[in-house]
Order: sequence, then C-alpha cells, then structure tokens
Amino acid sequence: MLMPRKPPKGFRKPHHPDRHGKSKGGNRVVFGEFGIQALESAYVTNRQIEAARIAMTRHIRRGGKVWITVFPDRALTKKPAETRMGSGKGSPEWWVSNVKPGRILFEMSFPSEPIAREAMRRAIHKLPMKCRIVKREVGEV
Amino acid sequence: MSEVKISAEPRTEFGKGGARRTRRAGKVPAVLYGHGEAPKHIALPAREFAAAIRHGGINQIFNISLTDGSETLALPKAIQRDPLKDIFEHVDLLIVRRGEMITVDVPVHLLGEAAKGTLVMLEHDKLAITADALQLPEYLEASIEGLEAGAHVTAADVKLPSGVELAAELDLSIAVITLAPTAEQLEGEGAGEVAEEVEEAEGAVAEAEAPAEAAAATPTPEA
Repeated sequence: MLMPRKPPKGFRKPHHPDRHGKSKGGNRVVFGEFGIQALESAYVTNRQIEAARIAMTRHIRRGGKVWITVFPDRALTKKPAETRMGSGKGSPEWWVSNVKPGRILFEMSFPSEPIAREAMRRAIHKLPMKCRIVKREVGEV
Repeated sequence: MSEVKISAEPRTEFGKGGARRTRRAGKVPAVLYGHGEAPKHIALPAREFAAAIRHGGINQIFNISLTDGSETLALPKAIQRDPLKDIFEHVDLLIVRRGEMITVDVPVHLLGEAAKGTLVMLEHDKLAITADALQLPEYLEASIEGLEAGAHVTAADVKLPSGVELAAELDLSIAVITLAPTAEQLEGEGAGEVAEEVEEAEGAVAEAEAPAEAAAATPTPEA
C-alpha cells in the first residue's frame, strides 16, 4: 500500500487538511488515455487507492498500463475507542490523499475503450466520492 | 487554418466580481496584447469562442472586431478552463500580423496501429513549430503503423506540411512503443512495492513514535 517512505517532515499528527475549493493542478489526463476525475472533495486512504488499483488491473488483465496520480501523504489521527476526551491527540490511523473536485486520481492506457471504461467504473466503486471517467483529447487546451 | 471573425466588447469592470458577472452574461473575459501595444481588456461571446476552439483547435486565429470599429488578428496564448464545468474562464490573446512567423505548439496525431501485444505510450502530444501565423496546421501526423516494441517515434518522424519548420529538437520523443505488460506484471506492480513500502514505513513510524512515547512516559513535575 502507498505511504510515505519516511515520517513526514512537518508534523507527525497534523490537523485535518482543508477540503475547500477545486483542484488547482493535476486536473488533466497527461500520462494515459483515460482518467478518473474526482467530482467531490474527499480524503482518499491508501487502502482505497490500492483497492481501486486492484479492481482496475484485475479487469484489464494485461495489455494496459495504470498510473496512480495521487499519493496518500497526509496522516489522519484517531483516538482509541472508549477513551475520555483530552490527554493529547490520538495516534496516526490512516494515510490519506486530500483530493479536491477536478483532481485526476488514476490514469490508464488500454487499447479497448469499453474495457478500459468498465475497469474504471469498477475502480470508482472503491472510492469514497463521486467520480467520472474522462478521456484525454490530443492537444486539448 | 482559416481565421474566425468574432466581435468583442471592451471590459470596464475587473476583479473576480466583474469577471463573474461577465461570465454570467454569457461572455468570456479576455485580454488582448502583443506587438508593444497596451493591453486591452475585452469580453468575447462564450458560445462562439467555444465553438471556434472546438473546431479549429488551440491555435485558432481570431479576427477580433472591437466596438471602436478596429479589427485585430489574435491567437490564443493561454486559456484557463474550469476542470469540472469545462467552460472557458479567461483567455489571453496575442496580437499577430499577417505574414508573421510565429512559434506555437501543435497537437500530434498518431496514425495506424502498432504491432499486436504492444502498448503505445504518448510522451508528448504537442510539438513546437514555426510557421506563418495564418497558415498554421491544425494538427501534425506521425505513423506508428506496424511498429514493434522498443520503437520510438521522434519529432523527426513527424510529417511537416510545406512552409512549416520544426522548432523542437529532432530527437524529442513523441511516442514509445513498449511491450504490453502481462497480467502478472500488472498485478505485481503494486504488490512488490506494497510489502517493501509497508515494512519501511512501519519501521519509520516506529522510530518516530519511540521518542514521543518515551517523552509521554516521563512523569511531569505536576504529576
């Protein structure tokens, strides 16, 4: 599963990242032919990213390539169950990527468009927000 | 590529409020500059502009007629689009002159199909060329017909129409033909990384947590 190789440089238990606004970058398909674009903001965990990747690769089987264009580099914390409030912040529980609307999460190259679309549809079911499939247009603005 | 006539109105209000009002009125805020002239803030009709870009591509030349009666030839230099609504938010238009040689990025289309069992990886989908401002090709073509794995399509392989010069380096890679990954390779792509990364990251987190826990275990003077 994806996670930072080293502990984060800043804070080990950061505040929850901001979820407002739209994606400023990474909102065009640049590597493959098709992409999964987020339509809502969400914290996508490394487990969800991995589940989506597996769903996609198992469907296409062979002959294609998948790019993951987000990285879960933010730690979210959680306090243990049945714990009283206080006594400091909980321990890191998840690694997430802060995804905002417009962000491309996965890209794919595959010769058959219907199979690629079905693979991406299956992957979208593993993600926590509404998404759509977008196609790269050569020389798009 | 033929030029498209479009009428423009001067813009009097600026900033995000003014820009939003312009967009709500069915117009695209734009700025027109180049050739040492003072920038002009204008508004273009959104539907006509979108249709022209859809048909003519990113290098569509516009013949902009302003309300003062003057006409200017311009080329979109930068276009800002909303990633979700797919509308044009703002356009930078660069003034060009008839007969002027300009350098622009033109889309490259790949023709044909590579050999079976291969995957075409598009490295660059645009190529910089120098041509007459009014004779810009809509797109360039390069053939990948029957290419085997390991073959490269470079800028030198792209067919250029007459009067067009390449502004990019000849060995700039346009596409690479690779062997299509097998099911095992695809599946293993993440799986190999997983075990390795989890081990490394767990080790790193344990290291980072150790001093914190030690600090927490140390009794404070108040306790």
